Amino acid sequence: MTLPKSKENSKKKGKTSKETELTEVQFLVEDLQLLQSENEVLRQELLRYRRLPSSKIGFTLIIVGALVLVASFVATSTVLAFIGLGLTFWGALFLFAKPIKFVRSTLLDSTALSSYTTIDKIMDDLNYKGKPTYIPPYPQEAYLPEYLKGLKEMIVFISAKDITTMPTLEEMAKRQFLVKNPKGMCITPPGFALVSIFEKELGADFTKIDLDGLYKSLSTVIVNNLELASSFEIDAEKELIHVKITESAYKDLYSIEYKLKSVHSVGCPLTSAVACALAKTTGKLVTIAKSHVSPDLKTIEAWYQTVEG
Amino acid sequence: MQFPLSISDISLWIAVVTIILLVTSELISPYSEYFGDFVIDKARLRLLALILGAVFMVTVLLRVIASPLI
Repeated sequence: MTLPKSKENSKKKGKTSKETELTEVQFLVEDLQLLQSENEVLRQELLRYRRLPSSKIGFTLIIVGALVLVASFVATSTVLAFIGLGLTFWGALFLFAKPIKFVRSTLLDSTALSSYTTIDKIMDDLNYKGKPTYIPPYPQEAYLPEYLKGLKEMIVFISAKDITTMPTLEEMAKRQFLVKNPKGMCITPPGFALVSIFEKELGADFTKIDLDGLYKSLSTVIVNNLELASSFEIDAEKELIHVKITESAYKDLYSIEYKLKSVHSVGCPLTSAVACALAKTTGKLVTIAKSHVSPDLKTIEAWYQTVEG
Repeated sequence: MQFPLSISDISLWIAVVTIILLVTSELISPYSEYFGDFVIDKARLRLLALILGAVFMVTVLLRVIASPLI
């Protein structure tokens, strides 16, 4: 007589634990969205704050310079003409070279930190142990039926178990955060936006270039165009692709002070962007097999593994 | 009422400014903290310096053409 009761109790317990798990996840997702919107607002505010002074200085210098130039005409004065030319030139320079795209590098860490902390919390709470796998998107111009259009977006799948089995195409196309079969979660890669910037900067589509072209392009865009690192080396080592980044703009995210686990597994925005680019170019699944950071945080090394999907 | 500077004056001024800009664009760090609160687009600064250098060369060429042949 006692057996059915105990079964009912265990069923009830199972139900309640599932419900609490779901509500926890919902709370965490809401937290993540809130933090991301806050970050965006702060970034916009900072940009506005940074843009104002140099514009004001630029316009003031141009106006004063123009007035002095006119005065030099009237007075036929060489000294005034030089002063006027100088002021106008520096005013124009301030406007031309104003820091529209630049923010302090320390801000990069603080904006990314909250997202990584949330990913860590979610993975800890749900006890997910799988290795994050970058799933390549379908090319934008490829024809897909309406219900599969979600496959054109890059995602990272984190499996609940250590052995990674990929979800079905239909499951991924739903663009859900939690995947039921196999159990795991899908998130947008931290470096996804960076890859878009890389492509925009290079005027190239990573799905249409070969690996050698990608290696050259990544080095150029990271070091010369965007100055995200002082040096970037990438080379193929047997089955792995080795990347060595020196003086990365995101190096502080690896600091022991923050104790972030997801930075090593999912990658910092820069290493994640490299993984995204590799997945796009090879059309294969990409995982960060291992990563190593020097004690002074100057050098970040990552080994990527590509797997046939 | 006339502009008080001749081509040679402007040429000299451009040369000086070009040197200043080129040296600045080479010495400036891409990381803002090394340059205090002032942040500048390094690539554009270098581009401007190179353009001014070219303008200087044009002014020199103009002066060479304009000078009487010995």
